[in-house]
Amino acid sequence: MADKTYKCLNPVGIQQPVELFPLAPRLDKNKLAGKTIYISVGAGGEQGLMIPLPKRLKELYPDINWKLTHAAPHRTIAGSIALSEDEMKDADALIRGVVW
Amino acid sequence: MPTLIKYEKSGIPSVFIIFPDQQECWKEAAKLNGLPTVRYVTESRTIPGHIDVERVIPELMDALTRPLTPEEQKRSVIQPTDTERILFEGTLEDAQEFYEQTDIIPTLQNAPFARYTDGLPVRVPTLERVKEMLKGTSHKPDEMVVFHEDHDVGDRSVQMGNSGKKGDPITFLPMKRTATVEQIATIAVMAGCRPEMFPIVLAIAESGGGCGDGRGGGGYCVSGPIGRQIGMNYDVNLLGPGNPANKSLGRAGELMWRNLGGEIPSVNNCGVFGTGLTNVFPENSEALPPGWEGLNEECGFKKSESVLVRIGMGMSGMESASWMPGQYREFQKSGHSGIARRLGVKGKPGPHNFLDFIRGFWVDGEGGFTFLMLPELANHLYQYGFKTKDAVYEYIYKRSFIPLKEYRLHSIPDVWTNAWKGIEPTSGKHWLELPEDYMVPACPDPWANMIIVMGAGEEQLHWMRGSMRDAYSIDDWK
Repeated sequence: MADKTYKCLNPVGIQQPVELFPLAPRLDKNKLAGKTIYISVGAGGEQGLMIPLPKRLKELYPDINWKLTHAAPHRTIAGSIALSEDEMKDADALIRGVVW
Repeated sequence: MPTLIKYEKSGIPSVFIIFPDQQECWKEAAKLNGLPTVRYVTESRTIPGHIDVERVIPELMDALTRPLTPEEQKRSVIQPTDTERILFEGTLEDAQEFYEQTDIIPTLQNAPFARYTDGLPVRVPTLERVKEMLKGTSHKPDEMVVFHEDHDVGDRSVQMGNSGKKGDPITFLPMKRTATVEQIATIAVMAGCRPEMFPIVLAIAESGGGCGDGRGGGGYCVSGPIGRQIGMNYDVNLLGPGNPANKSLGRAGELMWRNLGGEIPSVNNCGVFGTGLTNVFPENSEALPPGWEGLNEECGFKKSESVLVRIGMGMSGMESASWMPGQYREFQKSGHSGIARRLGVKGKPGPHNFLDFIRGFWVDGEGGFTFLMLPELANHLYQYGFKTKDAVYEYIYKRSFIPLKEYRLHSIPDVWTNAWKGIEPTSGKHWLELPEDYMVPACPDPWANMIIVMGAGEEQLHWMRGSMRDAYSIDDWK
C-alpha cells in the first residue's frame, strides 16, 4: 500500500513585485566645472575617511562647487537623509559616506 | 536605503561608500528598493582614511561620470517566487526532507543555510495540522496580519517600511514581506506550538515576528493570565530547555525571521554574531510586591489582559550581578559579605538597596536597562523603600548622571550626538558649550528602564541594555 500523501503549506511570507528603475544620467566628465556636488557625511562615524575626503576633493577638483552636509543622529529617519528638499534642488550629484 | 535611493530616482547621480564585505547586502537592499545597479565604492576597514582617500577619490569620480550601461538604464519588474499556498505534496517522510533542505551560501564561506527552518527539524505543516492550529483564533485564515493598535515601532523600522499604524499590514524585515493568519499558523505548526498558544504566536507576528530591524533576535515576555493557562514555566530555568510553551513560542519567532523576514545573513542583511534562540518567558505578576505594576499595566492594559512585550535585541548580551547567591543572602539577612562592606552596612540586617553595589551600569555604555528580577530581589527593593516600580526607575535615572568629561570618553555618544553637533537635552545648550563638570544623564529618562519580575531560585540578577516598553495585545488575537 502506498504511503499516505499530504498537502503541506507554505510558510514564506508574501513578497510584492518590485519595480526596477534606471539610474540617473551621469555627469559629463569634461563639463564638471561649476557643478554642485554634495558630500553627505553619515551620522557620526568614519571620520578617518570623511574628514580628509572633502579636503582632497576640493584640492583635486577646485572648479566643482563642493558642499558638505551632515546627517542627523544615527537610528533616526533624519539620520538616513543625505539631502534636504532644498539641497536636492541645486544638487548635481551626491557622494554619501559612509552609508551604514 | 529607501531614503538614499530617492536621490537617483529624482535624477541626482549618486555614489555611496560602503565596506567591502557588505557588497552582497548592498546589492540585495538596492534591488529590494528598485535600483539594483546603484553605484558604490568601498572603504577599507583597516587602511587609515587619509591614505585610503587617494584610492577612493578616482573611484568616486568615475562612478559619477562613467556613462550608464544598458543594464543600468533598464526598467523592469521582479516578480516574486515561492508564492504557492501548497508548497509540497507527498509523504510525511518526503515532506520532512523537503522542509529541511538547505542552500549553500557563498558569502557564508559556503556553509549551508536552512531554506525554511532555523536549522533544526520542524513539525511538517500539513493542511490538517494547520487547520487544527487555526482553531486557536477567531481570525480568518486569509486575514492579513496587521497592527491592531498604533505602535511606536522606531525610526529605523519606519524607514524600512513599517508604519506602526493601526490597520496597516506588518512588514517583516529585511525582505519587506507580509503574511496572512494562515501563514502564521503554518509557522506555529513548524515550531511545535499548540492551538492554545496560537494567539501569542499571532501577537509575536504583529510585533514584527522576531525579525527586529531585519537582523533578528531579541526576546518576548508574556504578561497576563494566558501564561499560566498554556502551561508556561514560571520557575527556575524559564530561559532554558524543557518547557514546550516557552521553547516553541521562541522558536516561532525565529521561524518568522527566516520565512517572513527572509533573512539570509551576509546576503540581505549585515550582522555580526547573530542571536540565538530565545525562549518566550512569562512575567510572574502574582509575585509582584504590593503597588508594583505588571508589564501589562505599565503599558496601559488591565491586569486581567494578556500582552506580549518585546524585549529587544539585548537578550544575547545579558549581564549578571557579580555576586554569589550566598553572599547576597548574607548581605540582606545579616549585613555580611563584601557587598555589605562596600555599601557600609556591615553588621546591619537588610533590607538594603542591592542596586548600589553594581558599579558597571554606565562605565562604558549608556542608556536604560531591562532587568530580569527574581521576586525575592524585587521584594527587597520594596522593603527598602521603593513602593512602586517608577520609584526604582527614577532612582536609576538619577544615579546615571556623570560628568560631561567622562561621558565624552564613551563611544556611542559620538554617533548619537552626531559628533557633538546637537543640543544636550537637560540644559538645552550645545554640547560643546557646556563645562566639563556639567552632569549629564547616561540614562536618558526614568522610563528607559524596565523591570520584569520573573523566575525563581538562587539570588541572581540579570539585565540588558535598552527597553522596548511596547506591548501587543494577545487577547485581540484570540
